[in-house]
Amino acid sequence: MALEDYRDDCTDCSRCSYCKWIPLDHIKSARFARACPSIEYCGFQAYSLGGRLSVALSLLEGRIGYNDELKNIVWECQMDGACDVSDKICRYNIRGLETMREMRFKLVEDGETLPQHKAYIDNLHEEQNMVMEPRASRGDWAAGLDVKNLAEEKAGVIFHAGCRYSYDEELQKTARTAVTLLRDAGVDIGIMGEKESCCGGRAYQWGYRKELNACARRNARAWTKARVKTVVTPCAECYYAFKRLYRETGLTLEIVHVTEYIDRLIKKGKIKLTKNVPLTVTYHDPCHLGRLGEPYVPWQGTRKKIYGQIPVWKPSRPRYTGAWGVYDAPRNVLKSIPGLTLAEMERIREYAWCCGAGGGVLEGYPDFAAWTAAERLTEASTTGAEAIVSACPWCERSFIDTVKVQDGKVKVYDVIDLVQMAL
Amino acid sequence: MALSTDAYRALEDIVGPKYISQDLAVMDSYAYQWLAETVRPGQSKFMPRPEAALLPGSTREVQAIVKICNKYKVKFKAYSSGWYFYGAPFSEGVIQLDMRRLDRVLEIDEKNMFAVVEPYVNGGVLQAETMKRGLNCTVTGAGASSSTLVGATCYHGSGGTSIYTGELRENLLGAEWVMPNGEILRTGSLGSGCGWFCAEGPGPSMRGIVRGALGARGGLGVYTKCAVKLSAWPGPAEYPIEGTVPAYRSPMPPNFRAYTVAFKDWDSLFESYYRLYDNEICYYAHRQWTMLGANLGPAFWMLYQDPTKSLDDIEEFARKREVKQLTKEMRYSYQLVLVGMSQRDIEYKEKVLEQILKETGGWKVKKWLEAEMEQFSLLYLLRLGKKNLNFVYTGGWVGNYMQSGAPDFVKKYEPLAEETTGKFQATGLLVDCGADSMMGCVGSIAGGGQCGLEQFGFYDVADKKSTAAAIKWMKYCIKEEAKHNIPPGKEGMYLAVGKTHEELQRDLARQPAIHTWQRKIKQAFDPNNLGDRLYPTLDEK
Repeated sequence: MALEDYRDDCTDCSRCSYCKWIPLDHIKSARFARACPSIEYCGFQAYSLGGRLSVALSLLEGRIGYNDELKNIVWECQMDGACDVSDKICRYNIRGLETMREMRFKLVEDGETLPQHKAYIDNLHEEQNMVMEPRASRGDWAAGLDVKNLAEEKAGVIFHAGCRYSYDEELQKTARTAVTLLRDAGVDIGIMGEKESCCGGRAYQWGYRKELNACARRNARAWTKARVKTVVTPCAECYYAFKRLYRETGLTLEIVHVTEYIDRLIKKGKIKLTKNVPLTVTYHDPCHLGRLGEPYVPWQGTRKKIYGQIPVWKPSRPRYTGAWGVYDAPRNVLKSIPGLTLAEMERIREYAWCCGAGGGVLEGYPDFAAWTAAERLTEASTTGAEAIVSACPWCERSFIDTVKVQDGKVKVYDVIDLVQMAL
Repeated sequence: MALSTDAYRALEDIVGPKYISQDLAVMDSYAYQWLAETVRPGQSKFMPRPEAALLPGSTREVQAIVKICNKYKVKFKAYSSGWYFYGAPFSEGVIQLDMRRLDRVLEIDEKNMFAVVEPYVNGGVLQAETMKRGLNCTVTGAGASSSTLVGATCYHGSGGTSIYTGELRENLLGAEWVMPNGEILRTGSLGSGCGWFCAEGPGPSMRGIVRGALGARGGLGVYTKCAVKLSAWPGPAEYPIEGTVPAYRSPMPPNFRAYTVAFKDWDSLFESYYRLYDNEICYYAHRQWTMLGANLGPAFWMLYQDPTKSLDDIEEFARKREVKQLTKEMRYSYQLVLVGMSQRDIEYKEKVLEQILKETGGWKVKKWLEAEMEQFSLLYLLRLGKKNLNFVYTGGWVGNYMQSGAPDFVKKYEPLAEETTGKFQATGLLVDCGADSMMGCVGSIAGGGQCGLEQFGFYDVADKKSTAAAIKWMKYCIKEEAKHNIPPGKEGMYLAVGKTHEELQRDLARQPAIHTWQRKIKQAFDPNNLGDRLYPTLDEK
């Protein structure tokens, strides 16, 4: 695909501003009615989905050229997809998020990259991770864990820790807990350790699509060799890459987020949560597990017009609306914990506010990322919850760092941490 | 005229460098507008580029900007939600004021039943806040994403609940207006320091002057705050939402009813309007579902209930026997929501409706009585959070006719609307969804007495021929209306945007008194002529 293929998506924008709000039916207050961090932080219309579609059209028509502001318009956005959900409430055929991503691809392919991203992409090429760490220490997080190393052994299930869990010393305990939990529940599980590679999903979202393909090939090869049937990951970004993006490359393994796997094991009675955890928590839906975590639907079709002028696709083109993301499994797990109270925020599920860390914003615009996280923490605090819980290490890192700066009292957990407390 | 460096610096000093831009990509995001393609050369989606865009953060900043505009003779145009081409510059040399930082609900006075809002507060937000307090606001027919202040000060702002909650124009109370000369005028009771409660005094009433015939739509100064009247809301403080995106639903409270009522013909339908006015039973009354075409709309509404389906599946739905039956059953129909202030009240209203239907030969459409359909209707109609479904077919539409008046007047142009639309749909260049694609308020002002029908014509914005057909259709409708002694509807207003000064003057000369007075008003308030033609004036001879 090329940006030109999205021209109709650009001209179809009705400039209605739905993309700036959570689905309007769901608005519960003026304070938490907004959906898009980018327009809220940056202000100008160009920093909304609608604005970006018009900028893409302007670029296609040669009305504008490349400059630093254009790069900001393209990259100062988490690509969290909230705009896309709201937009598609009424605009069935628009592919807003895809168009924004295609703009990134175009700029990267034209050599117009964001300088702040360069070191990270270079590191991905050289060290196969997105967190500026050496490849050699990727497996250190699992030191001493009694778990199969699938670089040498075979197992039905692989636990893919992802870059953040592999290198973030403060969070690594969560990944260790998850592996132990699954192993103790009788799952034939292993890890790749040092040989694990980045999923490539973050690079893809930044506009580096070739990098995704390279990572996908590397991971698929390793999983095939280890005779893996199921990939379990505790990282929402990896989940999205495997579930949605790798499928486009033809991967057919079962992809499961660890909260889904734990939910299954609890239902089967293989994990028993008995200890009281007297906490009131609120759950933050990671964008890549929730609205962006819908399964990929293979499709090829042709366009035609019916009833004179309605453009349609035959067979029907899949619509990614956020309806079928992973929302219930993490909540089910939390609800299984004795003594724990789940207090929901106003913006949840397909219309959740982003943590700020996605789309290259954390690396390119750290102040914006922190502002976005702070907004979410404010929302969390209005629920009366003592802690915000998520299911993605990128969200958790974002919140932990922001809580520290804010000198806040909200604790940050992963669902797995709470499960461990209840064992 | 390009913005001088001095003028730019002066503006930058007011808002700060973060809130002003001249970058071309940013400017094009403001120039891009729906309907631009109907008036711009080459069907461009872009209106003229602004010279700069500014995000003012207070009334004081707006005032300072306007004063600088007067000093340097720079035209300016403010918009709130920014939806469609009226919000954009109409010529080169205009600066755009994006009002999105003025976004607060400043006050909700429960006792006196009004809210004070800034320009970027939309209907969805205000409604959420007022409902918590047992009150409701008018959400303009354009939907929950549209600005309440703009509906109240710059347009008519009628919507589905107008029959009960009033038109926003009617609901305007005190307001704060930065006049085109840079002075601030506080209107109504606000002007004499008595608070927001009244539009007409004690204090200056400017309602007629600044609104003109329709509303200045950004062409005469900038409104920075206004108060709007609120109405009773005996429903939940917060809508409980069920269902899967996009077909959200809300459970029906026991004192609520949501109906699609249908009739055997137009005469019976319009007769029922009069009876609804006389009996004052409606909380919401609007012809909504037919906006997607009386022939194809029912298929879409059924499709919409299934989150696994897309527009690509509409033919499949249209072929279903059940949908065909529904299409027939609701051919002449509209939507109602009855709300009881008590259980007895809802029972009474229900009985009155039954009697009206009996007397006019109407019926409640069965499919829409099913629990999930009722719940979908209730949420859709009262919150109007999915109103932009009128873009679903093609991304483009124009709404012709839409002259408001008594039902007998509207009845007069209805056949013409069908005839002129059917003719163009038959060419295949507009969506063939039924020549009756008419939507409109059953009662566009409080208490009823006035209604309207807006005839939708859907054109593919990505298709030059289809867009050209929509333009031709608008022109054709104006000619046919003239032949039948019917004034031009919204199509006249749309096309006016693209007319030359001379063409526009010829049009305005048909109503010389109004447009001469508007010129005098403009000369008094906008001596440097910094607003645009959305406040239309007739030149001095």
